[in-house]
Amino acid sequence: MTRAASNMSTGEKLLAIIEDISLISKEIIENTIAMKHQKLLGAEQVLLTELLVLKDNELKETLKLAAEQAEINQKMDLLRAEVDKLDQDIQNLQRQLKEAEQILATAIYQAKQKLQSINRANKRPVSSEDLIKFAHRISSSNAVSAPLTWQPGDPRRPYPTDIDMRVGFLGRLSDMPLNGHMLQQPNSLGDMHRTGHHPEPPASQQNQFAWHPSGEIHMSVGQGTVPMDTRNHTKDNEDVEVMSSDSSSSSSSDSQ
Amino acid sequence: MESSHDNQDQHTNDLPARLSVEDVDVDFLPIIYDIIRGLEKDPHESSQKPSHSQDISQKVLELHKKLELAKEQIKRLPGVEYSKEQQLDKLEALRTQLKLKRDLLLKYRTMCTFDIPKA
Repeated sequence: MTRAASNMSTGEKLLAIIEDISLISKEIIENTIAMKHQKLLGAEQVLLTELLVLKDNELKETLKLAAEQAEINQKMDLLRAEVDKLDQDIQNLQRQLKEAEQILATAIYQAKQKLQSINRANKRPVSSEDLIKFAHRISSSNAVSAPLTWQPGDPRRPYPTDIDMRVGFLGRLSDMPLNGHMLQQPNSLGDMHRTGHHPEPPASQQNQFAWHPSGEIHMSVGQGTVPMDTRNHTKDNEDVEVMSSDSSSSSSSDSQ
Repeated sequence: MESSHDNQDQHTNDLPARLSVEDVDVDFLPIIYDIIRGLEKDPHESSQKPSHSQDISQKVLELHKKLELAKEQIKRLPGVEYSKEQQLDKLEALRTQLKLKRDLLLKYRTMCTFDIPKA
């Protein structure tokens, strides 16, 4: 029953010893009964008893070992808990790093786009004065927002008029052969910029359909609010003069 | 015999999830001794005294029970699923693992110095 102890677990060893004790005690008891009947005097019995005591001692020793191992086991449990904790920390950290990577990647991508547009803008600068002139021209005819004093019945437009619509891109779709190129926003900006530097002849023709003349027409139609109209009229006219020195926005689309 | 009975009852009544070595009842020798003495005391008349032989068989049964109980208890002992050498190896492995993980965390912590690329 004495097996190679090194490969056996302590638990198996303890069980084996108990098994041994059980077998030896059984043997001893049987021997005792046999001796009782046959009057045998057993040297074997003595040996068995010694073996039993030996096994008992071995059992106690192994139990001491088991006690030590229980302590080690406790240490291992602590270590395991700590390892688990670190595992979680590492996982958290990795997840956060991954998130940070994503955020940074997005930021870099956006920053690159921004740099690209900055470069593009630097290549073809638009003067702020030009921009302001265009803005003036667009807003002076009340096409973007109604005048502050506007009331129902006021002929000045808080809305685009028929003529405005016809002059715009949508109106032109029907009567002009278009290349899709023109419809793109950045290109129209580029066109504006280009035409700003090279005013083209059609601009003067287009003036009759541009913002200000149309505003004029409407003002003359709505007779009820004449005094207010004239005041705005003169103001508009000034604007028209300023603006018409440049190319109009409609001429920019014409240049295509 | 009474005391051993009490002992057994105590063990079967409250079963803690994790036993300690002190809880394992391994006092087999006194019972074996009792049995042998009982057998030797009455070599000739054991058959005529049924109560005496009953007593002995009771004790044999008790011994058997005690052995079985000890086996059960040993199976529930913590940390005896390995031999001590194996267990120490595993302990060492856990320590190494812990150290590696600590190092990894430390590496992560010191890693976060970004080089700003020149645009």
